[in-house]
Amino acid sequence: MNEFEWRRQLRDLRQPLTPRRDLWASLDAALDNVERMDAPAIQQTSSVHSPRHRRRWLVGACLAASVLLAAGIGWHRLQAPTDTQIARADRAPASWKPADPRLAGAAIELDAARMELQLAIRQAPHSPALQRLLDRTELQQTQLRQLADQAG
Amino acid sequence: MSPASAGAHDTDDVRAAAAGDRHAFQRLYQLHVGRVHGAVYRLAGYDHARAEDLTQDAFIRAWQKLPGFRHESAFGTWLYRLAVNVALMDIRARGADPVSMLDDDHLPDTGETPFCAAEREELERAIGLLPPRARAVLVLHDIEGWRHEEIGNELGMAIGTSKAQLHRARGLLRKVLGESS
Repeated sequence: MNEFEWRRQLRDLRQPLTPRRDLWASLDAALDNVERMDAPAIQQTSSVHSPRHRRRWLVGACLAASVLLAAGIGWHRLQAPTDTQIARADRAPASWKPADPRLAGAAIELDAARMELQLAIRQAPHSPALQRLLDRTELQQTQLRQLADQAG
Repeated sequence: MSPASAGAHDTDDVRAAAAGDRHAFQRLYQLHVGRVHGAVYRLAGYDHARAEDLTQDAFIRAWQKLPGFRHESAFGTWLYRLAVNVALMDIRARGADPVSMLDDDHLPDTGETPFCAAEREELERAIGLLPPRARAVLVLHDIEGWRHEEIGNELGMAIGTSKAQLHRARGLLRKVLGESS
């Protein structure tokens, strides 16, 4: 087989593929959670220590972290990369999704924020602001895991 | 209706979905999920479970970003690029994971292995064994038809680096296929 035919064979792999299972049901549930996160007014609950209140607090913190993340990446993207502290950026806990679809959206957002921060830290390893943001994001992930554990 | 021919027809659904119409978004999902999932599946190294997670993440991102979609390109193209970006972010996040990486050292030195005929499954399996970044470049260039400039922009690498990664990926692929044939 010559190179032209081999490359044509590779190009033929470009075909649509239907997922093995219907993703819409779980996607629909996740979108419910996203919509709750995007709701402009968060009603106050009777107890500020209830799990629902804490979930809303996490959602707010998640949105704030996203804004800070965008500003931080814009600031530090042009800085030259160095080798130091790259190990810090490589500390990548496995992606995790809670079974509770109400928490899944927050988990996705936090995971995406962590990935973006790790990428930014590789490019600007000496940025304390990015390190702090990564610490805060990982703390929020831990808190989200605790919430999921409490919810059973 | 294929995504390519649907470009002009799904505008109403895109506008409705951007305004929060979940049914319109479901129609968009059904129309475009094949193209999105196919690309993500290839970039994820033909891992079904991971590709399904990434496909779902891509549609969640799309739902969140739809209000900002400015119709400067076809919705299908915008969604496809967004999904590829989600898959590449996942690759970057897993970049330090040596378990999922096949490196030159793990392959026998067979010299210049000639191109060989490979069944589709064999070819996909071999691509799935490539190191993530090299696989991403090979999939985007040789399968998805991207230019090195686009790949460099998306992966944050120089054009020369993209070309070098592609050369390396093709070499590894030939070795894997030569080894298994």
